[in-house]
Amino acid sequence: MFELTLQALFSGLLAGGYYATVAVGLALVFGTMRVINLAHGELVLLAAYVAYAAETNYGVNPAMAIPVALVIVGTASALVYALLSRIKQDREINSLILTFGLGIILTNAILSIWKADIHSTSDPWFQDSMVVADTLFAMNAEVASFAGGLVLMAGVWWWLNHSWQGRAVRALSSNRAAATLMGVNPRKIEILSFLIAALLATFAGFAIYTGKTVFPALGHVLTVKAFIITVLAGMGSIPGVLIGAVMIGVIESLTVTYLSASLQELAGMILFLVVLFVSPSGLFGGGRALAR
Amino acid sequence: MNRILLIAALVAAYVGVPLLFGGNAYVLGLIVAALTIAGVAVAWALLGNLGGMVSFGHAAFFGVGSYTSAVLAMKLGVPVFAAMLLGGVGAAVSSIAMLPALRLRGPYFALAILAYAHIFQILATEMTPVTGGAGGLLSIPRFPKVLGLDFGEKLGGYLIVLTIVVLAALAYDAIRRSTWGLALKAMHDTEVATRVVGVPSTHLKAAMLVLSAFITGLVGAFNAHFISFLDPDYAFSSGWTVLPIAAAIFGGYRTVWGPVVGALSIYLVDQLLFKPILPHGHQMILGVLLCAMILFSPGGLMPALRRRPVKENRHAHA
Amino acid sequence: MTRTLANLATVSALALSVALGAGAAQAKDFLLGSELPLTGSLARVGQGMHEGISVAVEMANRNYAGRHSFKVQTIDDETSPAKGVAAVEKLAGDGVVAITGGYGSNIIGPASEAAQKAGLVYITSGGVSPELTQRGYPTFFRINNTDGYALAMIGMLQDMGAKKVSIVYLNKDATSSLAKQVNSALTAKGVTVGMHEFDGSTSDFKPLMNKVKLQDRPDVIAMVGYENDYVGILRAAKVLKPQVKAMVGVWSLATAQMAKEFPDLMENVYGTSMLPYPVEFTQPEAVEFAATYKTLFNKDPDYLGQFGYVQTRLLIDAVVRADEAGTLSKGGLADELRKTDANTLIGRVTFDRNGDNLNFTHRMGQHQGGKVVLVWPKDAANGTMNFPSVPW
Repeated sequence: MFELTLQALFSGLLAGGYYATVAVGLALVFGTMRVINLAHGELVLLAAYVAYAAETNYGVNPAMAIPVALVIVGTASALVYALLSRIKQDREINSLILTFGLGIILTNAILSIWKADIHSTSDPWFQDSMVVADTLFAMNAEVASFAGGLVLMAGVWWWLNHSWQGRAVRALSSNRAAATLMGVNPRKIEILSFLIAALLATFAGFAIYTGKTVFPALGHVLTVKAFIITVLAGMGSIPGVLIGAVMIGVIESLTVTYLSASLQELAGMILFLVVLFVSPSGLFGGGRALAR
Repeated sequence: MNRILLIAALVAAYVGVPLLFGGNAYVLGLIVAALTIAGVAVAWALLGNLGGMVSFGHAAFFGVGSYTSAVLAMKLGVPVFAAMLLGGVGAAVSSIAMLPALRLRGPYFALAILAYAHIFQILATEMTPVTGGAGGLLSIPRFPKVLGLDFGEKLGGYLIVLTIVVLAALAYDAIRRSTWGLALKAMHDTEVATRVVGVPSTHLKAAMLVLSAFITGLVGAFNAHFISFLDPDYAFSSGWTVLPIAAAIFGGYRTVWGPVVGALSIYLVDQLLFKPILPHGHQMILGVLLCAMILFSPGGLMPALRRRPVKENRHAHA
Repeated sequence: MTRTLANLATVSALALSVALGAGAAQAKDFLLGSELPLTGSLARVGQGMHEGISVAVEMANRNYAGRHSFKVQTIDDETSPAKGVAAVEKLAGDGVVAITGGYGSNIIGPASEAAQKAGLVYITSGGVSPELTQRGYPTFFRINNTDGYALAMIGMLQDMGAKKVSIVYLNKDATSSLAKQVNSALTAKGVTVGMHEFDGSTSDFKPLMNKVKLQDRPDVIAMVGYENDYVGILRAAKVLKPQVKAMVGVWSLATAQMAKEFPDLMENVYGTSMLPYPVEFTQPEAVEFAATYKTLFNKDPDYLGQFGYVQTRLLIDAVVRADEAGTLSKGGLADELRKTDANTLIGRVTFDRNGDNLNFTHRMGQHQGGKVVLVWPKDAANGTMNFPSVPW
């Protein structure tokens, strides 16, 4: 029983790591531009498929293909930003629809290029198991993704709080007009956040390719998950994303172990609603979610 | 919308379409599907404009309405038309469970409704004795013959869904023009100020949520009896959330009839024009159209169509 | 003289018209309809079935060259029941002779109902759920069903002598009814069965696998799901290493595709499979099938193509027979199809009153060294079971 719980917690922690890496990019853009990029999941998926193409066509270890994927996803992300910045009125809802349309285009493009089969890495190192203290089991890929994701998130968090650009990003999201007056170039900063989001999305894509399976319809699923975790965490809180993601991962894991695996998603959703009702601006949001 | 145009459109819809397409089950079926989307789109726009709340989970109401009506008709023998109305009521009741979410703003509310949609879907999958579980319900009773017209047939179904959509749009319009509509618009701008003046904002918002849920549930119930089949994936499919939103935006979601025009345009053009030409890529075109619409005419199709008369007036004065 | 001429003219006119008429009755173009998921979540299986159908049409055109020609009009149902119904209605309006295709019992249900209303025969291999043949539609036919899959799995598990089995199954319709059927059959024979239902959104199976490993402690783990579920389950099993003697799945598992994509994961895993891989066809029809498939699509046929081919082949044969008997335009196709008793790539096929092929019993294959070897039933096996054995 004890073993079961421990493994459930461990698995939940690692699953939370995955969710967090996917969500962080979305959260960053949401926090800075108040824009929800509904094509984010597709950007993650794009990175995953670049990894797949690299591995199958060139026999390259997926990790080697990360620079290439960065360029591709970065360009795509910049393109999304370019289109988004042309929206003048009703920003919130219009950007939702625009990015939603872009997501459809990306998903269908991926479907026509790579077809509907499922894919995952065939590199054995990623699939080998790692055992901790004889009771906790995990795939190498999962632990590597978790560790890498943690490092990346810590880096982003540090950058947001301690570097000039990072502080500019926070200033912009707090009060755009004032920040511009203080010398912040909004366009440059916004592009920067989109590029950082692309970096995070690329890493998430590789994490998913090595640890799970990818298929074209996954993009939409990832976007929804990322969105839920972003809202759960509360606007503009990177640590919140990690904590929220781990919470969901652990609850899902415990539900599978003690109730039934078919209720896994139900548990996550109920947790989400409970947190929102208790704390309407998310776990760490700044109390701005209540209706005016 | 111009009264004359409206009456002409209604005549075309109730008389012209049956005359032209009555024998073509395929085209009629497509029009019914487009109108189903239109109904949800109107309900969504109503909630968004009057209630000020964007929802990402209207599939929840659609699915609850479908299942309520189907189960009542199949397990309790309720007559189909009554079951359909009760389906709408069921969806409205389910929205009461969502009242706590009214406190949330913007994307928080939108996602909360999405979470509800997922929850209802899973409940439908697990409650097998009632809902037929993952297998769903096959051979749901169709609409009966009334006064010699078989409403179970394509044409009858078309008339039913057309009436639902028209009534929903008229109700939306009526509320918009009424004093309640004024209050809601004011709330949209600043809720605190309206509360100070004495407008029961929370009650009004709740009423809009319940109404939107009722309309969506009604349409969902209609669809269940029209297709005669239901399963959790179909009833709560994200398509019932996403397509109506796209239709409403495309047609102009700030107008009353925009969602209807948008739904008909997107669905029919996609299925009749693009699908035969590009069997594999036509969904991508939908994405491109949506993006183009947002970038070039964010108000949607209706305002774009209306722009020309305005220009003419200007010239007349010059 | 004039009379002889007139007689001669009449006789030659008659002879000419008979010749022309008979010729016209013989050389016919038949239009078949096909509705299947080419986009949406079932895109992969729809595409596979579509390939098989295309091969059948191509081969028919070759075999009946000069006498009949066949074309198939395919409409994508986008994995949506409503669009499946619309597709059938469009095909009916375009005057197709019958419909072959369909994947997913939830789409086939409404689509075949629309076909029934239009009086069109609907033949499929993608709808295994029991309810489909309980509606009493004379136009509905299918060449496979849940029973066939269940019997194969049950049969092999019994031959293995498994005393404790854990069934891990997806909560969708086809998978859960199969799981429940296997459960009741095994329990009736005294086997202890642990049932574990999971949701389609599951990507990490370790908690579930751990539960099975520590609480159930079974001899065999049975998996009922789709490709990404199998990969997830097997990966979790590879990490946790439960003490089992075999990992057994159902459809989409013992395939060349899985062997190529996930070689380390598949070793010694069992799944249902009609034919071994690499396929060694000996029978002439099968050889022609494989060759045509390779020419058209540049790959080896898989189970989806095989099923799509067989269902269409049987349909075409029935169409030709009905046409020759003169009953085709009078709705005689269904009766003609019901007279089918053929030996096909998937074994013997006959249709009962409800359109079901009760002869259908699947075979079990095992991944061995990158190949798929048929191991059950004994009379269809072309190799021996590696038992007990697991992929780790």
